[in-house]
Amino acid sequence: MRNDLVIDIQGITKRFAGHTAVRQLSLAVPRGAVYGLLGPNGAGKTTTIRMIMNILIPDEGVISLFGSRATRGLSHRVGYLPEERGLYRKMRVLDLVVFLAETKGVPRRDAKRQAQAWLDRLGLADWAQKRVNDLSKGMQQKVQFISTILHEPELLILDEPFSGFDPVNTQIMKDVVVELARRGATVLFSTHIMEQAEKLCDSVCIIAQGRKVLDGRLAEVKRQHGGRHVILALDYGGGSVPSILSDRSLVAKADDYGQYAEVELAPSADPQRLLEELVRSSARVSRFEIAEPTLNKIFIDLVGREAATAKAQEDGGDA
Amino acid sequence: MRKIWVVIRREFVEKVRNKWFIISTVLGPLLMAGFVVLPIVMAEQGPSQRKIVVIDVGAGEFASRLLELLGGALPLDATLVQVDASQLQTMTDSLNVVVGAKSLDGYLIVSDAAVDDGRVEYRGSNASSPADMRMLEQVIRQVVLVERLSRVGVDPSVVSRAQIPLRMQTVNIRGGRLTDESGQSAFLLAYAVWLLLYIAILLYGVQVMGSVVEEKTSRVIEVLVSSLRPFQLLAGKVVGVGAVGLFQLGIWGVSAWLLARQRGRVLQVLGVDASGAEGFRLPDVSLETLVIVLVYFLLGYFLYAAMFAAVAAMSNSEAEARQAQTPVVMLLIVPTMLMLGILQQPDGTMAVTLSLIPFCSPIAMPVRWAAATVPGAELAASIAILALTLLVVVWIAARIYRVGILMHGKRPTPQELLRWVRVG
Repeated sequence: MRNDLVIDIQGITKRFAGHTAVRQLSLAVPRGAVYGLLGPNGAGKTTTIRMIMNILIPDEGVISLFGSRATRGLSHRVGYLPEERGLYRKMRVLDLVVFLAETKGVPRRDAKRQAQAWLDRLGLADWAQKRVNDLSKGMQQKVQFISTILHEPELLILDEPFSGFDPVNTQIMKDVVVELARRGATVLFSTHIMEQAEKLCDSVCIIAQGRKVLDGRLAEVKRQHGGRHVILALDYGGGSVPSILSDRSLVAKADDYGQYAEVELAPSADPQRLLEELVRSSARVSRFEIAEPTLNKIFIDLVGREAATAKAQEDGGDA
Repeated sequence: MRKIWVVIRREFVEKVRNKWFIISTVLGPLLMAGFVVLPIVMAEQGPSQRKIVVIDVGAGEFASRLLELLGGALPLDATLVQVDASQLQTMTDSLNVVVGAKSLDGYLIVSDAAVDDGRVEYRGSNASSPADMRMLEQVIRQVVLVERLSRVGVDPSVVSRAQIPLRMQTVNIRGGRLTDESGQSAFLLAYAVWLLLYIAILLYGVQVMGSVVEEKTSRVIEVLVSSLRPFQLLAGKVVGVGAVGLFQLGIWGVSAWLLARQRGRVLQVLGVDASGAEGFRLPDVSLETLVIVLVYFLLGYFLYAAMFAAVAAMSNSEAEARQAQTPVVMLLIVPTMLMLGILQQPDGTMAVTLSLIPFCSPIAMPVRWAAATVPGAELAASIAILALTLLVVVWIAARIYRVGILMHGKRPTPQELLRWVRVG
């Protein structure tokens, strides 16, 4: 199984003067996965990606791509969109795309043909002979995106791919990424926008302050962190509903709207028991749903707590 | 290797397509044509006619003899005025006004006493022109000499025979053979070699710096280093800009050669009488000289380009790079400041030393070569030292470059730089 990992990171650590950006991080991205690297700003996402790209060298640990030690010899199999976008501003668009493809080892003639096709597809055909400087920011982003995927990489590494795009372009990029994934490409992308990750990823890894908080298949993650939320719609019927919702052995937190309530169950409480209690109280239950939490909720629960404990540790250390 | 080639081609094509490249490439030969034509045009026109007054204080023999000579073939229009010593002040006051009004260039105050004490005074608006003053002084010296000799009884015909001027012709000997070039043209060649190398190394070296800074500030570097080794990038860049340099120098060289060959025709087209061109000979450039200049240009360019690239990699912006380049430029300026010393004594201790020191030799050695004969052993030693230094500098620069291109923010301290080199 390990042989089919496109990215295999084992215990990498990267220190910069003054702070540790990534601590003992291990990651495994299987072939064909769409993998989300999630974390708040400054969590170490970009540092991790730069180490995968062999731009930074980890102080400890090992990174393998396609089953062998990551080297630039593999770069033609990888498409990389860095967080800080940048192009030669004075070059003509077509020349630039062809040049970047050539640095990945694509023969010049193929590169030209492909570049033209992609520029057509993303609506930049009329701009092929213009200088990058003359393009709008959105168009420059598209050009950079094209040069990331032109050489048909098996692995796409996208650092905050959708930041700075308008909704229309985000849609176009998303479609292309999904299409490439369907054709078998492995995608690793970082983001701090959970809604995107939730829709695109089949696996995620959440990191905070350089440490892994959680990873796994998205469905698995949701199952592990789900089942604690219940959405209720009911007619109180003068019964003892408020006292049930304030029973701390059963309900940790309730957001009561009168006819509707969102309930977070107490740890180890059985949702089945809540339903029984409600029925017994002679309230009329019209909806009882064990809700799957959003990735956003999981993220905030985990990372919020993580950040809080780290803060407390620091405070304790100072005292 | 293929990837380096890709980088070279991009660097070359983008630079050659740039409008500044086109402008400077076209402007070069035009300037050269100007250099060829202008001196001849100037020589033809000759110096302009000067109008002066000779004030003879106390009416004497000396002033009239002087006037005789001044009235000769010289571009001078002299008038004699005789005054008493008491009237001199009034006279000069009024002449000052005339000179101020530009209807007179100046006036010369002489008396017979000048023959004994050698004192004459010239006041005028052209007193700061070395050519005018030299001419005037020569004439006066001749008259004073003749006067002094004839006072002690020397026959004037003997005096005039003694005054036939000496003309020494200088011819360069190179490699044991007599050349047909004069000493002056060797000097001219050495001077041209110095100017060419200094400008070329600086010009193209700074272009490498600009190119590195551009990649860094535009952040395109991040994509580049994900597919290229920093060394591939650096090598491609340096070679690419170097190729642009050779291309441009080639264009200039060929057009200069054509201009020199077709000088007569060019002058004809411009309507300048070509007969004036005879006296002004362009130095011949031998094949060996050409090769030496080329070898040192390449070695020197690579040496400085590597340093400029390292400087650029440490900087965050164009402005910062321009500041940080000062020490590198200084290295190049040292041989330039000592250039006159090399030209005057191409075999002197200083010239020999400079042509062995690696950071100076790319300029110092070709200049020496152009000015005089350089022993083969010295040439070999100079090239060997330079090549060895080049390897070391490229090694260090590549390491600084490798770390520096991805660093943003504070400029590194010397200690940090040392760590970059050690870790890189």
